[in-house]
This record gives sequence, C-alpha cells and structure tokens, in this order.
Amino acid sequence: MADTMATAGAGSSGTRSGGKQSTNPADNYHLARRRTLQVVVSSLLTEAGFESAEKASVETLTEMLQSYISEIGRSAKSYCEHTARTQPTLSDIVVTLVEMGFNVDTLPAYAKRSQRMVITAPPVTNQPVTPKALTAGQNRPHPPHIPSHFPEFPDPHTYIKTPTYREPVSDYQVLREKAASQRRDVERALTRFMAKTGETQSLFTDDVSTFPLIAARPFTIPYLTALLPSELEMQQMEETDSSEQDEQTDTENLPLHITDDSGAEKENTSALQQNASLSGSRNGEENVIDNPYLRPVKKPKIRRKKPHCGA
Amino acid sequence: MTPTGLEPARMNRKKGDKGFESPRPYKLTHQVVCINNINFQRKSVVGFVELTIFPTVANLNRIKLNSKQCRIYRVRINDLEAAFIYNDPTLEVCHNESKQRNLNYFSNAYAAAVSAVDPDAGNGELCIKVPSELWKHVDELKVLKIHINFSLDQPKGGLHFVVPSVEGSMAERGAHVFSCGYQNSTRFWFPCVDSYSELCTWKLEFTVDAAMVAVSNGDLVETVYTHDMRKKTFHYMLTIPTAASNISLAIGPFEILVDPYMHEVTHFCLPQLLPLLKHTTSYLHEVFEFYEEILTCRYPYSCFKTVFIDEAYVEVAAYASMSIFSTNLLHSAMIIDETPLTRRCLAQSLAQQFFGCFISRMSWSDEWVLKGISGYIYGLWMKKTFGVNEYRHWIKEELDKIVAYELKTGGVLLHPIFGGGKEKDNPASHLHFSIKHPHTLSWEYYTMFQCKAHLVMRLIENRISMEFMLQVFNKLLSLASTASSQKFQSHMWSQMLVSTSGFLKSISNVSGKDIQPLIKQWVDQSGVVKFYGSFAFNRKRNVLELEIKQDYTSPGTQKYVGPLKVTVQELDGSFNHTLQIEENSLKHDIPCHSKSRRNKKKKIPLMNGEEVDMDLSAMDADSPLLWIRIDPDMSVLRKVEFEQADFMWQYQLRYERDVVAQHESILALEKFPTPASRLALTDILEQEQCFYRVRMVACFCLAKIANSMVSTWTGPPAMKSLFTRMFCCKTCPNIVKTNNFMSFQSYFLQKTMPVAMALLRDVHNLCPKEVLTFILDLIKYNDNRKNKFSDNYYRAEMIDALANSVTPAVSVNNEVRTLDNLNPDVRLILEEITRFLNMEKLLPSYRHTITVSCLRAIRVLQKNGHVPSDPTLFKSYAEYGHFVDIRIAALEAVVDYTKVDRSYEELQWLLSMIQNDPVPYVRHKILNMLTKNPPFTKNMESPLCNEALVDQLWKLMNSGTSHDWRLRCGAVDLYFTLFGLSRPSCLPLPELGLVLNLKEKKAVLNPTIIPEAMAGSQEPAINPSIHAQLLGFQNPFSSSQDEEEIDMDTVHDSQAFISHHLNMLERPSTPGLSKFRPASSRSALIAQHSPGCDGTPATKSPWGIEFARKGAGTDMAFFDLEGKEQAPLEMSLHPAAAPLLAFPKESASAKHGEHHHHHHHEHKKKKKKHKHKHKHKHKHDSKDKDKEPFTFPSPASGRSARSPSLSD
Repeated sequence: MADTMATAGAGSSGTRSGGKQSTNPADNYHLARRRTLQVVVSSLLTEAGFESAEKASVETLTEMLQSYISEIGRSAKSYCEHTARTQPTLSDIVVTLVEMGFNVDTLPAYAKRSQRMVITAPPVTNQPVTPKALTAGQNRPHPPHIPSHFPEFPDPHTYIKTPTYREPVSDYQVLREKAASQRRDVERALTRFMAKTGETQSLFTDDVSTFPLIAARPFTIPYLTALLPSELEMQQMEETDSSEQDEQTDTENLPLHITDDSGAEKENTSALQQNASLSGSRNGEENVIDNPYLRPVKKPKIRRKKPHCGA
Repeated sequence: MTPTGLEPARMNRKKGDKGFESPRPYKLTHQVVCINNINFQRKSVVGFVELTIFPTVANLNRIKLNSKQCRIYRVRINDLEAAFIYNDPTLEVCHNESKQRNLNYFSNAYAAAVSAVDPDAGNGELCIKVPSELWKHVDELKVLKIHINFSLDQPKGGLHFVVPSVEGSMAERGAHVFSCGYQNSTRFWFPCVDSYSELCTWKLEFTVDAAMVAVSNGDLVETVYTHDMRKKTFHYMLTIPTAASNISLAIGPFEILVDPYMHEVTHFCLPQLLPLLKHTTSYLHEVFEFYEEILTCRYPYSCFKTVFIDEAYVEVAAYASMSIFSTNLLHSAMIIDETPLTRRCLAQSLAQQFFGCFISRMSWSDEWVLKGISGYIYGLWMKKTFGVNEYRHWIKEELDKIVAYELKTGGVLLHPIFGGGKEKDNPASHLHFSIKHPHTLSWEYYTMFQCKAHLVMRLIENRISMEFMLQVFNKLLSLASTASSQKFQSHMWSQMLVSTSGFLKSISNVSGKDIQPLIKQWVDQSGVVKFYGSFAFNRKRNVLELEIKQDYTSPGTQKYVGPLKVTVQELDGSFNHTLQIEENSLKHDIPCHSKSRRNKKKKIPLMNGEEVDMDLSAMDADSPLLWIRIDPDMSVLRKVEFEQADFMWQYQLRYERDVVAQHESILALEKFPTPASRLALTDILEQEQCFYRVRMVACFCLAKIANSMVSTWTGPPAMKSLFTRMFCCKTCPNIVKTNNFMSFQSYFLQKTMPVAMALLRDVHNLCPKEVLTFILDLIKYNDNRKNKFSDNYYRAEMIDALANSVTPAVSVNNEVRTLDNLNPDVRLILEEITRFLNMEKLLPSYRHTITVSCLRAIRVLQKNGHVPSDPTLFKSYAEYGHFVDIRIAALEAVVDYTKVDRSYEELQWLLSMIQNDPVPYVRHKILNMLTKNPPFTKNMESPLCNEALVDQLWKLMNSGTSHDWRLRCGAVDLYFTLFGLSRPSCLPLPELGLVLNLKEKKAVLNPTIIPEAMAGSQEPAINPSIHAQLLGFQNPFSSSQDEEEIDMDTVHDSQAFISHHLNMLERPSTPGLSKFRPASSRSALIAQHSPGCDGTPATKSPWGIEFARKGAGTDMAFFDLEGKEQAPLEMSLHPAAAPLLAFPKESASAKHGEHHHHHHHEHKKKKKKHKHKHKHKHKHDSKDKDKEPFTFPSPASGRSARSPSLSD
C-alpha cells in the first residue's frame, strides 16, 4: 500500500509538470484516486457530524490526507530500504507512524469503531501503462551463470559502441595551436572587456579603441601584488608541491587575524597577544625555541615605569 | 682647509701604530637611546638620549655632538641644565643671495660645510656648553652624563616612514618606519657622535603600538607593556662596543620568523609575506656556516635579525647584528632570476656584519679596508656557491666596470691621505666633488670605490696567498672580539677599529711579505693600467716577439712596472711566462717550445691538463702558436687590447677553458665577421658544457656578426635553427616546447637567444620578417602550465625581443603618427604589448617584470616614430603607488622623452618629483637617470638650458637636499653633467665684481659694473687699504677657482660676455641688482633661514674682512689674503671684533637675549680657529699661490646659531 502511495506521489508531481489538460491513462488513474480520497474525506466529515462543506475546505483536507499518506509511504519505503529490503513490512509502517507522532495503539480501536462507514473500493481503472520503450535490436539472452530472474539486459544500443575511424584530435600541433589560440582569444576578450568597462589610456591620439590599454591605477600597497604569487600560480604551486600548501594556508589565516581585530583597540591588543603567544607555544612544543621575540610580553611593573616615562 | 675645531691632522694614519687617537676631547662609553613615542599619523618621534662620556682633556668646556633635523628641547649634563647651540652649515651650503653658480665653488663650500660638522674632525652640529658648576668635575676627568631630549617631526632623511593610505589601524595598514641613509646618517634621527670611530655600548628602548614590533641592534632583553596595555616597550642591550653609525631601527607590524636552523636568527617581514620570507631566508644558514668556517671565527653578535621593508633606501643595509633589506628581494620558490640575486644580497650583508659593523674603521680613508675585506669574502662565498666560472666572470665584470669608470672620470683613490687641511692637495682634483668625506662623494664613485676595494683585496691575496689572507682576517677578528669583551677602562676598544696601516702591518706580520709596492700602486694612487699588446713570431729563432705598450698619459691611467703573466698556448701545450714590465722595455722575447710540425696527429694539451683534438687547418703553417693571453689571472687592474689573428681568437674561444678567455675572445671576434667566426660561435652556443653566460654573450656576438655579413649570409637567420633544435618540438619545429625551466642554463639561453635574434637586420636594415614571426610564435605558443617555475622573466624578455626588432619608421615628410599609417609588423607587436600590459592588470607577474618590459618597448616604438611620442602614459605609471620597478622604468622613459623632445615641461615635472616624491630611492634614481641620459650637456646648445633651471638645480643641491647625502651628491652630479665645473654658460654675466687677474695679482673693475652697485651698503665699513683685495673674488667669470679653467672656457665665456654686454647697454638697469639690493639690507632685520648672514649692519666690524658679504647681488665670498699680509692684520683686528663675533644677529633678534655665555665661548673658539687657519693657509698659499689665492672658511664659523636654545 505504501508503495503505491509513494509512486502515486511521484506520479502526481510528474503530471504537474506534464500539463493539466492532458487526458492520458495515467492522468485518469490519478483523478480517480483523488476522487476516492474526496469520498473518504466526505465520509469522515459526515461521521464527525458535518452536514455540508465548502468545496475549498474539502479540497484542502483532501490535500492534507494525500500528503499524510504519501509521507507514510515515502517514509516506510526509506525504512525498508534501510534494512536492505525492497518490500515494506508491517513493522516499517509502524515505525513510520510512531516516528510521525501517531499513537499506533489507538489504531485497532479506531478501526473497529461502530459508526464507521464503508466505502466501496474505487473502480478499477486501468493501470497506467508505461509507454513501451523503443526496442532496438535483440536483447541479449542471459549467459548461463546469471540466474534467469535477474533483469534482462538493456537494449543493445545503450551499450554497444560504434567505432568511428575519423582522425582524433590528438595531433600535438593542432592541440597546441588550439590551446594557444583559445587562450589568446580568452585573454583578448577579457582584456578588451576590462578596457571597455573601465578607464583606458591610448597610445594614439586619433584612435583610442584599437589598442586600448587599461589605465594604470596605483595601489595602496604595491609590493603585495608585485611579490605574492597570483592565485593561478598558487594553484600551480599546490599541484607541483604539496608541502608548500601548508604555508599558504598559514598566510591565509594571518590577514584574517588582523581583520578580526579591527574592532576596539583593546581587543586588538589582546587578540594579537593571543596570536603571538599561540604561535610561540606552538613552536615551543615542537622544539623549544628560545627566541626573545617569541617570549610573552611582560606586564608593566610600577617600579620600572619611572625611568622610562619620567622624561 | 678645516678651520674649525681641533686638529684634523690627528687623524693621520701614521699614528695608527700607536693605537687610535680620538679626534674628540672625550671618550664615549655608553649611550642610551629611548624613543618613547612614535606617531605614524604625524610621522613624528619623541625621545631622549643619554651619553656617558669621559673627558680626556682637563679644560673641556664644550662638547660637540652630531644631530640633524632633530628638535632639541633640553640638554642636561649630570642633571644640570646646559646651554647649547645648534648650527648646521650643510643645511644651506652657499648663501641664499649668492649668485655664484659655479660648481667648483659649491664643492669647496660643501666640503667645508661637511668638515665643519665632521665628528672625525672633532666637530658637530650640536655644541653643548658644560655648565660652570661642572668645570672642576671635568678637570678631574670625571664622567659626564649628557641627557638630551629631542623630537623629530616629519623627518626627510634618516628615518623613513611608510604609511599606506588605507583604512584601518596603523598595524593593519602595514605602516612601518626604519632608519636609512648612506654612511654615517644616524645623526638624522638622534643626537650622537656620528662617527665610525667612536664605539660605545648601547641601551635602546622603543615604545611602540602593541601590534607593532621594534627591531633594533643587540639583544632584545625584554618586552614590557605600558600601563594602559596599548603599547609595549622593547628593551635592547648591545654590549659589544658599536659606533653610532651602525645603529638602526625598524618598527612595523612585522611577521616574525625564527630561523629553523639557527634559533638566534630572526627574520621579519611585512604582513602577508611570511611564505616568501620562509623561502627567501631558508638559505641564510649556509652563508653563516661558510663565513664562520673561512674566518674560523664565530659570528660576533649573539643574535642576528633580518628585516624586509618597503621603500628601501638601498637594497641591503648592514648594521650591528641586524640587516635591513628591501622587501622586493623576497621571492617564492617559483622565481628563478631573483633567487641568486637575493642570495647575493644576503651574503653581502652578512659579510658586512663582520667587517663594517663589528669591525669598524678609524677614519674615512680606511673605509677601503672594510669594503675590500667584506667584498672579498663575499667573493669567496660566490666562488663556493655559484662556482669558479661565475666567480671569474664576476671578477671580470667588476674589473671592466672599474676600468671603464676610471678611464672615464680619471680615477678612484682608495686611500686618500689628506695632509693638514690643504684642500688643493686634493688628490682627486679631476673630480667635481671632494673625496675627503663620504658625504661629498658621488654615489657612482662610491660604488666603484667598493668595487675597486675588493678587487685590490684579491690582488693582495694573489700576492700573499689566500691562507695568509684569511689568517689576517682572523687576527683582526679575534683581536676585536677580545677587545669587545673588555671593559671600557681597559682602553682596548680601539682594537675594534681597523686602519690601513694596522691592516698592512697585520699582513706583513702574518705573511712576511712586503706588499708595499702593490699598495702604493693600487691603494695610494688612483688609475688603472692600459696595455696594448701585439706580437710577431720569429720563425728563425723560434721566438715569440711580444710587444706591450702602455698608455699612462690619458686620464685615469697609471704606469705599471712589475711582473706580468703571459700565457702562450702552443701546439705542445700551454706555457706561462712572467715578463718584467719596465720603464723602457716594450719588446719581450718569449722562446717557443714547439716547432710548427702539426702533421703528426697528436692531441694538444691544454692548461688544465686536458688533451684535445683540434682541427689545425685554420692556423698559420709557420707558427706553433694557438693563442696568447696577457695577464690571464687578472692580477693587474688593467684593460688589455691585444691583437692576434682571427683564427687565434677562434681557437681561444673553442678550446681555452677559462670563461674569461672565452668572453674576451667573443668580444674580439666581433671584429672578424667571417664564416669561421660564425661557426666557432655556433659551436659554443651548442656546447652544453660551456658556461651559460659565455653562451649568452655569444648570442649577441653572433647577431652582430650576422649583421656585418648580411650580404653573404646563407641559411636561416642566425640561431634560429639552433633554437628550434634546442627548444622546439621535434614534430612541429615552429612550436616551442611547453616550458620546463628545470635546467637553469638552458633557461637563460632560451630567454636570451630570441632577444639577440631580434637584433638581426637584413640588407634593408630591417628585422627579417622570419625572425619577427618566429618571436611572435614563441609568444603565441608559450605554455607554462606544466612548469614548476614562473615564466614572467621569460615573457618579459620576449617583449624585449619584440622591442629589439623595431627599426625606425619610414617617415614621409614628418607626417603625424596615426593608427592608419601603422606598419603592419608594428601593429602585430603593438597587439602583443597591449595584451601583455592589460593582462598584467588582471594577473600581475612577479615584480611586474612584464609591465616594465612593455613600458620600455612602448618607448622604443615612440622613439622610432611608429607611435606618437607622448609621455602621458609613462607619467601615469611613474606615480607613487606603483611598484618601484614600474616607476623606474616609466621614469626612465620620461627622462628619455625629455632628452629627445627637449621638453621643458617634463623636465620640470621630473625636478618636482625629485623634490617631492615620498620614496628616497626614486628621487635618487631620477637624478641618476638624468645624469646618465642628460637632456643636454655642458657644451651643447639647448633651449632647456636657462637661468631658471640653473637656479632650480642650484637650490636643489644647495639647500633642497640637505636631508639626504646621496641625493645631494646626485644633484651635484647632474649639475656637473649639465653645466660643468664653471659658471653655466646660459647665465648672464655677473653684474658686479672685479676682474682679478690672479697671475698678476691685479684687480680690474669689471667693465660691466654700474658704479652705484659698488656703493653697496657694506663697503664703508671696510678699511680702504684692503679694499682692493676684498673685491677680488666676486666675479666667478674671471676669477673662479682655477686658472686653467678660465683658459679653457675663455672662448665660450667671452662670447657670452660680449652678448651680455650688448644687452646691458640696452637695458636701463639690471634687474639682478634691483632685485638683490633690498634683499641684503633686509637681511639684518629678519632672522631668516640663512644662518650665514653675518654681514648685517649691526656687525660692521673689522671682522667683516673675513666674513663680509660683499656687494649687493654678488656672491657671498670668502677670501684669504696673501698669508703674509693677512696674518698680522687679522690678529690685530680680533680684539675689536670679539664682542660682536658670535651672534651678529643678536641685536636684530631680541629673543636671543640669553646668549651671553655663547658669546664668550664662541669668541674664544673662533680666535683659536683663526690662528689655526692661518697656519694652514700660510703653508698652502706659499705652495699654490697662483692656483688658489683664496679658500673658504667653513660656513659654520660664519653662521649664527639658530637653535631653539632656551636654556641658561
């Protein structure tokens, strides 16, 4: 039962995407099932003492019921697959219900309640027929070592390769040519774009667009861009040498420390101090380096103060 | 001429044997430097120093210290307030109102000004009076503690602040500050005895923001928070006696790296650069090991620090136990080219730690020993690290450099001896600056000086063997290190100072050899040797007749007498001969060992024992000589021009194993464009074993040869097939292999070959199309994805290659350059340059090498008329905020533009940059580039050469650059290049003054003088009897310093004279006069910036004879009467002058009312000074009467105090 629900859920979403006015067999099937659900909702409402209901509210309740049942199905399926089965058992359903906060113990009593209404089974509509896949060629029979209950081989066209003997593009010269021109095109397009969108300089007074030079813009800290390897080079470096990588992550952290500290000055000092002491202790653990720059900063002594700041 | 203070003669090296005699009347033992506030926002520093000194003379009542640009608040000696005067004559060398524009005059005045504050002459800018309460104390030679409170506001030199203008706190912005300067520059940032010869122990304290680190000399004892916990104080102790000039400081938010190999070594860099720092310094421990091993001496300091900072003054600066490097030396593991350069810088700085920092020098004339030793051991390190080939190549390079410089300028003197103050004994009169002080030296001269020093050390090594050499160094070091651990009282510290005589004595003690002739030749004397050699083979006698001539008459040369090694490669082997070069013998007969019998198939033994097969068909059938080399070991500082046949050069190139010989033969082969030369060069290029630098040189030579034989050249362009074979794919020869720079030798060759190929020209003198396509293909197919190393230098060289291929545009009657008439080849080149330059903005290369090359290439295109010549682009790249290499390249282009287009506007732009740019290195570099590529020169007519420019440059060197020695000397160099030594020709004649005929000692009124001008307000005060002499020196046109010079310029000047004269007649009055007369009378009332205006009306005293500022509008000139006449006269005048001497401005500036004390002392001092001076002058006048009738007293003596002295 849960199984069908699950497929039904999946199916409905499928129809939604498929289009509303279509009247194929699958659609009919779903419509019929929804009608049954509506009957169920109506009868439950009657049972609860309602005499009439607005269509919208019935629709809402139907939707809720359908969702609930779908969820039971989906969840039960997960449980059964979790235990490596394909068919849900009763216990799967029970666990699901418990999980969904439903008191299972009340279920038998509810089922046996006196005023329940019996609804006729929905008319057996024709099962949605999965459209027959286009067969191409003969499916291969199973070889003897495969038991017959195993699924059939897929259609040959799904695995058969058709060798084409055209010259592959593995010629070195062409590849290099391609790589070069591709890179050049990318670069040119990129630089032209940058030039178009930003300020430019030109070597000619009469024509500013043929050889546009991106305008020189001074940096606030020029040495950083000049000395640090670009990201591209960093990648290359990571590829060629993994030991370097550690150091790089180190540096990535360092500016972070600083930006973190950008708040109040007091925080700033303490954070940096921590930072310093951290690195100090880390080194210390490794091989006890006694370097004066790694030693912790001393607290001021009142006595010491005078000779320094007295002047 | 050192008229001030104590006898400079004491510095004479002859006293060296008895130990060092201090030129100062006291001895410094300890100094405390405490900087308790550093403000990055305002770029200011507040602190104090405390010097502990012991008087060495009983009547010490004034103490002179060095201090520049510091504001001094208060001086106390042993807690008693002390009066002080601050007077710095170097601030403005010549007087404001002076119209003298002659470089000779300036150089003399500048040297005098520097002398006047030279601590090695016992002088200083800051003169402190010992309070009378302490006189008794001093007489007992008891200790004095001088406490000076000072501050620095926006220092222009000495300390350099780098404060990037970004958001955030100073630490986040990477703001830092560091000390910098050239030679003794410590006085720029705290008061001290700024001499290399005054050693003391140090306590250094720096209170900085808690996020910053202060790095300084000695051991970091502790770091303590201030009370508010916002700052910390770094306490340093330097127990090894050290000169103030070796004290340094760097403060910034540095990242700290403890050297993993040596934990006492710590490296510092700016934020985010730590990975680079790790890589860059990973090698340093090997340098340490090397030096310690060869010197058999431990590194003298207990710790070592390297700091990498931005906007460095020089790439490497070594200070006691710490070195400051440019941050641009940092590099990652992917960079090839920078690695050896950086390592060399590290090694250089470390060598200077031993010799230069730990061992200091007695006086400036001993500098060569320190520079020589450090350069020499650095050379040994090079030999060990990069191999003998690299070492020999380097030596040759250095030798070529010094030879070229000396021949150009007339000589570099390593050990100048200055006899008692006689300026005209100046051993370097051929130069336009004085070599008496490091601060007056041209920077180029100083670099060449260092270069010569280490080459001379190598010569000494050749003479006494390396073993002895190292023993001498070890002896110096161990003496010094024993001394350094002694207490001050032991008087041992002077052992840490090296002197020329001490060094030579050590050598003779250790080696037992007399190297005096060598020293005399290369150290006490300037100049290099120029040999011309040729030979003939005498078949009959089987003798090689070698003729060696010398040129010792041209400037910068000297005569060589002594042994000279000649190596002759014969068929039977290589033979060394030592010839004695003597006065008159030109011809030398060298017997040959082998007969010319080369029918026998035999291998030929080489010098190194190797035996090789040679194809002997090229050689002369009658001669057994393969090649001849003169002085193969470079044991003389010389230039050799040797003539031998082309096939001999070719044999030498192919078979001689010495890289220097190969290099020489390549250069010689340029003159022999034959197929045989081509073959020899191609073979060398292909030879993997051959030293890569030789192969690189061969590339360029091959290009030249190919151009010379363009009409007969067969086959593809030179080197193309070679390059294809070596670096292109086997299957598709037009495509270069993907980059793999694992073999550095081939990397360098791969980089160089296209650059050389681009120099090829076809019969139309154009770069062959084939070559251009080839280079464009190299760029196109360049693929660095699989490479472990960056290809930025390679790509940059490809752009250089493109630039090399550019030839002048064919211009149809000067049409305007537009895009439409662009040559299609140039269009392709421009396309590449544009793309490269734009890509740099998105993916910048290391040190922006590609941008640099692109800018250069664009300038080449402009210069060749393909692209309109326009400096706008370069000016935008030259702005502050670009990487320094880019800026320099852009500025170089602007300098070139200024020259080619004679643009006044650009010259002004450059000059304003020299004055205003925040980076000292850039300012220095602009001057340097302008000097190298001047817009015009002395004898050239140029619209740029006008009076305003002269004034501007004069102002620049006179007062605009007083905060930076190097910059000032750079300005002097430029002035010299543009105008020469005498008065610039573009100036109008001086309106006033007498024509003094120096030979006849007759004064004639300058005919152009208008009589009123003579009645300058000063005149009446002066005794008429000396009137005539007084006027003598005013006219720089006719009475400039050198008689010879006048002769030289007579023609030129007389033309100017006449034309000016004519102009004068047309003008009603001279603007010069009206302009300047009021200025002079005003000067009395305004206590203005010119500290030297003594001649105010208030001081109309006989004293004026010495110092009177002469007629309005003329130069402030000092003169010296003939010794005989003057001495008695002046002596008699002194008493009268006395009360008015010291503070002539006093009456005008009432606020200086407290100066009685100074008066008194000034007077005493001056009297002493003058006596002294007369003595000197007397001597010197008698000798150089004709040549130099007057000297200039120190401007210092003529200046009044302008210190903010508030004491007393």
